[in-house]
Amino acid sequence: MQEYELDCMGEACPVPLIKTQKKMEELAVGDVLVVHIDHSCAVKNVPEWARTQGYNVEIEDVDDGEWDIVIEKNK
Amino acid sequence: MEKKIEHFDVIIIGGGAAGLTAGIYCGRARLKTLLIEKSLMGGLATYTSEIENYPGFPEGSSGTELMELFHKQAKKFGVTFKGTAVQSVDLTGEEKIVETFRNRYIAKAVIITTGGKPRLTGALNEDIFLYDKGISFCATCDAAANTDKTVMVVGSGDSAIEEGIFLTKFAKKVIISVMHDEGIMDCNEIAKAQAMANPKMEFIWNSTVHSYEGADHLERVILKNTKTQELQSINIDSCFLFIGYLPNTELFQNQVALTSRSNIIVNERMETNLPGVFAAGDVCEKFLKQVATAVGDGAIAGYACEKYLAEGEIFEQQILNEGKKSLVYLYNGSDAVAREKITLVEDFGAKHPDMRVTCVDIYKSDGLARRLAVKDIPSVVYLNNSEIKTVLSDISANTLSTISLS
Repeated sequence: MQEYELDCMGEACPVPLIKTQKKMEELAVGDVLVVHIDHSCAVKNVPEWARTQGYNVEIEDVDDGEWDIVIEKNK
Repeated sequence: MEKKIEHFDVIIIGGGAAGLTAGIYCGRARLKTLLIEKSLMGGLATYTSEIENYPGFPEGSSGTELMELFHKQAKKFGVTFKGTAVQSVDLTGEEKIVETFRNRYIAKAVIITTGGKPRLTGALNEDIFLYDKGISFCATCDAAANTDKTVMVVGSGDSAIEEGIFLTKFAKKVIISVMHDEGIMDCNEIAKAQAMANPKMEFIWNSTVHSYEGADHLERVILKNTKTQELQSINIDSCFLFIGYLPNTELFQNQVALTSRSNIIVNERMETNLPGVFAAGDVCEKFLKQVATAVGDGAIAGYACEKYLAEGEIFEQQILNEGKKSLVYLYNGSDAVAREKITLVEDFGAKHPDMRVTCVDIYKSDGLARRLAVKDIPSVVYLNNSEIKTVLSDISANTLSTISLS
């Protein structure tokens, strides 16, 4: 299992989602991606997309208006 | 992935109105509180564009805005939030275990506020018109907005027919789609007779929803006759679905006692059948599902949870008395005779300085009596080595002196 990070700070939708989708393709099963975001719309669409893929998702509040989305490529 | 273990006093599962309120109460009582929400904080209320019956907001509020305030308030009291799904729970033991994909959380108590969702028909385009786009699940919420309009109600159970009757006070016409043969409904006979006699109500028998149509908002419902397969287009302004409610309780099956409809059974203190496990809000078997009632449930659950944990501490430290001799007098403070016997018990204790005496008024909470498994009140319980040695319900100076203090 490897952990990767993706910095999407300062990026507006749909850029974080597109970057996440692209990065997830590179990951192997069991790997984890941590996406750093600060756009509230990305807190919705990135986890929503990941859940529809069947991946495990966790949203962590880092600070006011700042989040980490943890996605496990579990399949 | 290795799961990280974390300890909390209480874990709240579900971040809707009930869960956030329980969080406010637990956080404010200085309990180390974790709230886990699988999708968006705020729950079902966030699907409502306008909430006009939540007190304190005379101008109304959007569900999202209102829930954002709840969230902010819970944060202020130090509640920890995790935005992920719970994978499994073990609530039967003294330690409650809640697992997510990254963590194994251990807590002394759990509050279940997982809510539920209304059942859908599964008809074509349903997802496009849900909630404020024309398909509603709550007459109490949306009746006023349908004044002088034509609405459809799908279903024939108690809630469908009773809510349908309620809607006739606002709408000019209420069309009921019933899947059964003419005259057959799932509701009680009184509601049925009332509905059949109501001039504003119209019934379409042997029908199910085939599809929903409209430009931006719902305009037409296409019904299908279950016998002839014929389609019928009906112009309406809103469509209310009352075909059941699915509580989110899959995780708790075989642990927490549920009704036949999978709602959690709670008492007036929001306690489930398991000690230290509480439930609040729409997930419970309840009379009215509203933000206002979820808030009430959440407050009770948070308070009851705090009391449960406090009692647990008293039980460990004072009642069990680190395995040393302990005498407990359980009485009801409203019983004058039982109150008089306090001195009797205290006098007896004074003669045995190696024994700790605790008098417990069970009037407000019978939690300690339940932990001792004592049903007869008043009773005197003698413990040594953390074990109950004697239970005495006939209390006098004489009977006390017969207790063998080994």
